Formats: sequence, structure tokens, C-alpha cells
Amino acid sequence: MDKEDYTKLGFKQEKSKDFSAKNLDYKNLGFKAGLEIHQQLDTHKLFSRAPSILRSDEPNYLVRRKLHAVAGESGEVDEAALYQVSLDKEFVYEVHSGTTSLVELDEEPPYQINEEALKIALQIALLLNCEIQTLTQIMRKTVVDGSNTSGFQRTVLIARDGYIETSEGKVRIDTICLEEDSARKIFENEKEVRYRLDRLGIPLVEIATAPDLKSAAQVREAALKIGEILRSCKVKRGIGTIRQDVNVSISKGARIEIKGFQDPSMMITTVNKEIERQERLILGKMKVVSEVRRALPDGTSEFLRPMPGAARMYPETDLPLLKIHRDLINEAKKTLPKLKVEIEEDLRREGLNEEMIKLLFKRNQVKEFGELMKIYPNANFVAKVLLVLPTEIAVRENLNEFDVEKKFGKEVISDVLEKVREGKLEESDVRNVFEKIVSGESLEDALKI
Amino acid sequence: MKLFIVGIFVLDMKIDSGIKAGDEVEIHFVKEIYEGTLIESPESDKNIVLLKLGNGYNIGFPRKEILEIKLVEKARDAEEKVELKKSSGKPNIAMVITGGTIAARLNPKKGGVDWLDTPESLFKYYPGIFDKVNVLRLERPFMKASEDMDYKDWQKIAKVVSELLNDTNIQGVIITHGTDFLHYTSAALSFFLGKLNKPVVLTYSQRSIDRASSDANLNLVCAAVAATSEIAEVMLVGHANESDEFCYAMPGTKVRKLHTSRRDAFKVVNGKPFAKVTQDGIEIMSNFNRRNNSKVKVDNKFEEKVGLLKIYPGQEANVLDYYVKNGYKGLVLEMSGLGHAPTSRARHGWTKKLKEVQKKIVVCATSQCINGRVDPLVYSNGRELLETGIIYLEDMLSEAALVKLGWILGHSEWAKSKEVVKEKMLHNFAHEFNKMLEG
Repeated sequence: MDKEDYTKLGFKQEKSKDFSAKNLDYKNLGFKAGLEIHQQLDTHKLFSRAPSILRSDEPNYLVRRKLHAVAGESGEVDEAALYQVSLDKEFVYEVHSGTTSLVELDEEPPYQINEEALKIALQIALLLNCEIQTLTQIMRKTVVDGSNTSGFQRTVLIARDGYIETSEGKVRIDTICLEEDSARKIFENEKEVRYRLDRLGIPLVEIATAPDLKSAAQVREAALKIGEILRSCKVKRGIGTIRQDVNVSISKGARIEIKGFQDPSMMITTVNKEIERQERLILGKMKVVSEVRRALPDGTSEFLRPMPGAARMYPETDLPLLKIHRDLINEAKKTLPKLKVEIEEDLRREGLNEEMIKLLFKRNQVKEFGELMKIYPNANFVAKVLLVLPTEIAVRENLNEFDVEKKFGKEVISDVLEKVREGKLEESDVRNVFEKIVSGESLEDALKI
Repeated sequence: MKLFIVGIFVLDMKIDSGIKAGDEVEIHFVKEIYEGTLIESPESDKNIVLLKLGNGYNIGFPRKEILEIKLVEKARDAEEKVELKKSSGKPNIAMVITGGTIAARLNPKKGGVDWLDTPESLFKYYPGIFDKVNVLRLERPFMKASEDMDYKDWQKIAKVVSELLNDTNIQGVIITHGTDFLHYTSAALSFFLGKLNKPVVLTYSQRSIDRASSDANLNLVCAAVAATSEIAEVMLVGHANESDEFCYAMPGTKVRKLHTSRRDAFKVVNGKPFAKVTQDGIEIMSNFNRRNNSKVKVDNKFEEKVGLLKIYPGQEANVLDYYVKNGYKGLVLEMSGLGHAPTSRARHGWTKKLKEVQKKIVVCATSQCINGRVDPLVYSNGRELLETGIIYLEDMLSEAALVKLGWILGHSEWAKSKEVVKEKMLHNFAHEFNKMLEG
């Protein structure tokens, strides 16, 4: 059922009502929810040596392909697969030289799995208290919307049975999989769908929780918690690098997957509105159809596609069984990153105040801070030089903050702190040096005090 | 050593009788129980037990850690009935299935490979071709990967194809084949079948059929178009480029696998395709023998003792003694550039040895440049080698040359005389020579 059908039935999307958590009795509704989070890792591609770089320039050439319906392993054809193939569109792929390999073009067998990505995924699994699946098989998950040139997504289950703690109790992590991201859709018309191959094959970690979430607020809390754990590892940052789907159901309703949350802060409203939508359907004696919906910015959602069936996985025959060796797990453990709360605690111990700690995370400069501390171990002074001084000067001189900050890269600050450590410069002289640099003097000249 | 230790300490795994891959099972460990579908253990490691979980993922366990495997439910054999669409409006063709990726389908439930070797199984996976033609007859002389084939297999295919070509109800023949040595088979059929009355189309797949992106769909539909066309030639039909847009119909003696994995792995060398083929029609690109009412007669005699040897820098000529000693009758040397091997000026010269061995075996020359024609007259080195008696095979592909030499020497009446062999080797039987190379 799509958006139009609901409109016909008089269930026009209501935007005025605000569904706040306190109006809903989740327990009586039989509310159940689970999260599925996809996070890109910051490495080259999972099954090729192509770099994971998104391109915005013109493609060098286009490749045109068709996909064909493939019967599932037990003979039945998957409903989601059928729906897509019935569209019978031509798929056009944009190829950029330098970043697209034959693997992304489905013209070469996959390379052995990217070991760095595997290690990062193992670290995520360990931080989520999971059991590593040491013997596992890389699978092909059928995808026929054209977003994978091969017609499937490679995915491998690497860990199971973990958990996170939330204020409303433990949330179990069912599975952690390492998989390929899909190609980016550029446009679509009646005849063709155009994709860019730059995103295809970027390693993704997929985290699926059990349906343990008992309220919309807990959905959001769990998403934030997992997000924080992910960001402590070597993952990509920025828009589109993390995607969060919520599976929601209530008694008498059906499992609905809501995709495409831009922001976890919308989760409470969107989940509550989905409960409301299902309730309205049930009240109107309509069947709630299990389907995939897309979250809209106003907190409502719209029909995206039918729920994919279960029988869509078969082994990746081009690769051997994946044996995750103890050495790699040990290596992952040895280099396990610290969580944000742990880093915060460390920073506090080093004497940094809460405001500075917050700013350090906001600017994503924790790593630089740590490196500068090795040169001159005075936390508040280093934080001031790194985070405050350039901005202050910019404001006073009425200059663009961004332009000023650009002049104080890690190398410049390192050199200045070096001089302070050597006693060639007083802490109080640093502002003067910075001002000279802003006014256009070279670092060398500015340091001559 | 390790196995021995395992043998002492491992507990005997209990397994319910009659359990087979595909059955629903419970796998019991000391601490936990897993439920799922049992999958065939990998060929390379039978000590691993594979299980498909409810979510579709396969995971594995070392056999020695398992206490017991219990049967939950036997696999249901879902025998599917597929109805073949036949209609009088469509032309009739025949198919010869010989194996290779195009005829193999992974059985993910069990783990092994099933052959697609009935019209019904073909129809299930390649419905597109059945929109174009009726597959009136289907033959499977054997099922093999092409790297496992030899001349006896070419002979079998030729025999089967000739019978089909002489069946008046059939308009053309499609042969599906593995890709590795496909161009050897296409050359062999070109010589064995001689002047044709109908199209003989070889086709393949580089991407297996279990993926929605398989190249076999377009290749087969275009093969059907070519098989019902006017082109009565042995041709290889396959992707022209990386897109699923059109195929080329390429002469069987002028085609070579030039990429290990791309869809358009096969290219015409030193020539042009017969035609560009789309699912809607055919666009002629070079001269061909027209469809006619003649009968086809197979001439598939073959001398097995022929070899193909690639020359490399510093190679010693006494490698030739091996061929003489082992009773070889002919040898194709894949030479450098215009047709050179180390001469009397080299540290390990070949000239003397070449002269000596040609008293016993026929030596022909092609170029390892792949593209272009051999010409021994340009350099003095070439002239020195030519004087030893080598037959220079113009622009012929090394693979086609090997097959042709075996075919020519298989005819005892020709093989008797070096002069006749040379004349036959240089006669253009099946487009193996192109008199005018273009840029």
C-alpha cells in the first residue's frame, strides 16, 4: 500500500498532531522495536583495492546493464526481487577512472576481504560485547534494484550475541555483519536508473539489535549509544556515512522497517507517528502490511518498497570460507580504541575543564590534542592554543574565523609549543606570535621574539 | 601430526542417521545449540560443518567441537514443473550443451553445482532465448569445464553438430561452452565442419547464472538471433563491450580470449566480426558464407602429437629435442615480433637445432604479439630462420594454428609430404587468414 492509497481512505497525512511519548502506553500497545545501523568504515573498498572516495566530477564513461530475475535457492522468487525486476529498467553506471575498479563493474572476481576493515569491524563487535564468529562464509544477498552491479551485496556475519546498556535496560545485539555499501543513485526516469559506482563496495558494518526496545525514547538512546561506540573506531564521518533503520511493530500490527533517519533526534517523533499510523489502520479494520518505509523530515514516513523476503542469501563462491584468526582478534583487542566516556575521563584527569572537553569533541580534535600534549603537557594551555586562541584573534581583528584557523595547522602549533617547551618562548608570548602569523608574518619571523 | 592428536582427544560426534545436506538440523555444543539448514562441507575441508541460519547467513564449526547433530526436519524436494513455451511462429534451433559456467548452477541449499542440461532447466534460468526460438533438440555429448577438454571432445561436438545441421527442421545450432579454451573449440569446429549450410554459434558466460547480472542472458538471446540469421559460419557470439547492449558474431578461427574476467573477454584479432548482433536484429560487418541447402560432412581427423611453444629470451634450443624424442609430428612456435627466435648471433642460438629437427617434425611460426602478421624477410635474423624451413603462418592466431596443424597432420595422405603440409597450412580454409589487415 502506498501513500496515495492511504489518502484515498481518508487517512491523509496529519502533520499538526504531535505525538509525544507520554501519550502512548508502549507496554499495552505491545510495542517492539529493533535497530539496524549501517556505518561506513574509513578504509579502501571491502573486496577490491579501489579507494573509498566519493566523486563529484564528470564520469569518464558509462556502462549500461540489465538485471534478470533469479529464482531463490529454494525455488521461490523473492517478493522484493520480483517487484524490482518488474520495473524492467536499464541501469546506467557512472565510471570514474582512478577510483572504479573492475570489481565494482562486476567484471572481475572479488579480492580477498580487506583485512583493515575486518579488524575495525572486530573492534566494533568487541566494544558491543559480541562473540566473534571465527568460522564464517561470505554471502551474496540478492539485490536487484541495480544498486549493486552484480545483482547482490556481499555480506558476512562476523559476530553475534552482544549487548549494550541503556537507562531502560539491556539491549541485545543479535548480529554484526561486514558488508559492501551500494552504488549511489544519481537519477531515475521511466526508462533508466543512473548510479555512481564510487560508493559501491565501501565497507559497512551492519549492527542489528534484538527487538528489545521498549519505547521510542529507548530507540533513540540505543541509536545514540551505538553511534558513540562507532565513532570511537576508524569510521567515516559526515552525512551519509551512517544510516539507521528502525523496525517497529505493535500487537495486531505488522513489522515495519523505517529507513533514512537523518538525525536520531527525529526517532521519537517518527516512531510515535508510525505507531499512530498502524493504530489508525487497525481501527479502520485495515490490514497492516509489512513493508519498508522512508522517514520524512516532518516525522511521518512514506512507502518505499515491500519487505524483502528471507530467502535471498547464497554463498559467495569466488571466495573461500572466512577464518578469523586468533592473531587478528588479539590485534584488534590490543588496539581497541577508547570510548568517548573513557577519553572524557582521561581528559578530566589531565585537568581539562568540561567546556574544553566538549569543544574538543565538537571540533573532532581529540587526536591532535593528544599529540600536542606529548610536546607540551599542559592540558589547559594546549587546549587554549588549539581551540580558543585562533578564534579569539579572528573575532578581535574582525577576520573570517575559518581563514584564521587554517593558518594554525598541527605543524605550526607543534613548532610553537616546541619553543615553549625549550624555554625559548614564554606561554604569555604565544598570543603575540599568533597575531604576527595572522598579520602575514612567516612562522620563522613570528618566532623571533 | 595435528590430526593424530585430534584423533586421540576428540569426542565422537553423534549424528542422526540419514542426515543430508539440505536438512533442518540442531547442532549441539557443550554450551549451546544452533538450529538451521545443514550445508555441504567445503570440498577442501571436510572437517568443517556448515550451517545456514534462519537469517540466511552461513557459519561454520570445526567438526571436533560438535557433540551431536540432530535432525529436525528432512529437506523437502521442491521438484518444480516448468512448462516450455513452444510456438509454430518461432524458428527452430538445436542446442549442444558441453558444460562451463553457462551450464552450471550453484545449489546453495546443498552447496554443490547442478548442471542445466534439460530444456526445462534452461528455460527456468534463460527464459529470454525461448522468446526468440523453439529449442527443438538438445544434445549433451559431455559436461566439462573447457580446460578439461581435448581434441576428442572437439570431434564429438563436430559429429553431433553435423547431424543437427543436416536435420531440415533445424535452422541453426547453438553450442554453450566454458570460456577458457573456447577459442580452440571454435577453431576446431571451423576446420572440422568445412563449408556450412547453417549458422553454428558458440556462446558462453563469464558471470554465473545465479547472479541477476549474468552476461549469459544477452549472449544467449544474441546467439539465437545469430543462429537464425543468414550467416552459415562457425562463430562465437558474446558481449561486444562492458555493457549489456549488443554482441559481436566473431569468426571461429579469428577469435581469442583476451581477458580473464570481463564480459567482453573474446575479441577478433586481425580481422572483423561477421556482424553486430542485438536482441532485435543483426548488422553485417564483413563477408560470410550464406545459408544454403547443402549437406555438411564432418572431417574431424586429428593428429594429437602437435605442440605449441612460446619463445622467450635466452631459451635453449634443446627444448626441441623433447618434442622429437616424444614422437611429435608438428610444432607451432610462438615467436617474437615479426617471427624471430634466438639466431646464430645469440648465446643460445636456435638456427642449427631448427634445421636438424625439421627433418623429423613440421615447424610453423606465429607471433606472440597476437596482433599483426609474421614476416621473416624484414630482418636478417628472420631470413636466417626462414632458411631452416619454418612455415610462417601469416596473421594466423597461435591457437588456431595449433588446431589447424593437428587437423592437417591428421590426414595421412597430406602428412606424407612436407610440401603438401605447407601448402595446406597456407590455404585459407575457414577465414584463418586475412589477406588485408586494417588499422
